[in-house]
Amino acid sequence: MSPIDCEQVLREIEFYLDGELEGPALLEIRQHLEMCGPCMDRSEFKRRLKEILSAKCGCDEVPPDLVAKVRAMLDEPPSATPDS
Amino acid sequence: MPSIKGRKDHGGGSAAPPADPALKERFEREVLPMLPNLYGAALRLARNPQDAEDLVQETCLRAYRGFAGFEQGTNLRAWMYRILTNTFINAYRKKQREPLTVQGEDVGDWYLYEKLGETGVEASAETTVLENIPDEDVRLALEALPEGFRMAVLLADVEGFSYKEIAGILDIPIGTVMSRLHRGRRALEKALWQTVRERGLVTD
Repeated sequence: MSPIDCEQVLREIEFYLDGELEGPALLEIRQHLEMCGPCMDRSEFKRRLKEILSAKCGCDEVPPDLVAKVRAMLDEPPSATPDS
Repeated sequence: MPSIKGRKDHGGGSAAPPADPALKERFEREVLPMLPNLYGAALRLARNPQDAEDLVQETCLRAYRGFAGFEQGTNLRAWMYRILTNTFINAYRKKQREPLTVQGEDVGDWYLYEKLGETGVEASAETTVLENIPDEDVRLALEALPEGFRMAVLLADVEGFSYKEIAGILDIPIGTVMSRLHRGRRALEKALWQTVRERGLVTD
């Protein structure tokens, strides 16, 4: 079995970072990244990009009364909505 | 995705909410803690706070009405997001046709990485440039993506769902999830680069 090259690694990198690889496919990429600085740089860049997106898009201020409103709805749900 | 759809057929088709106090207690215990995340996702979809709040409430109402049929032990979080996205599509999309393409598809897989590299930013500082993009700009870039792409990126990168879960939530094949994610991310990279330039976060 010949080791995978940079091109293959970079093509699969999003699957790798998304946690979608397992078994030999995962192992091959991991081993390649340990040995290959340029691929590791690119991989780290995409990984940070994902993290930054998640952090910046996942910190909205929730209306303080939202939970209370939903609770109230459970006790007294409005009558059927037109499109349900 | 039976783990997401996971509904037992109770027949009757009543839309009445569960009268069972234990069911209500379980709903409160398991679903209410998800509200902050659901609201964040709703905001990315509806793009304004009032509609987002309505969307979350409608989602919770539908979920509550169907909760007796939800199979315990299956993927409740994915089930909630499935209801959220369906409610959004039904209520807010109206008759708009969903675009099949996304702006920015013409760029390569490493667009942002390479653009930042060209500016001479040191490798270690590249992600610092991204961190310096105001939160609001990143949200707007995501919200500017057409729905299908936006939902895929949101579910994968912000909510952390697997491809398989996203396929179940959006009721599309896994190949479509991968394609939307890939294309959506490239469009997002293009938009983020534009923001970096406009905000003067790099010098040419």
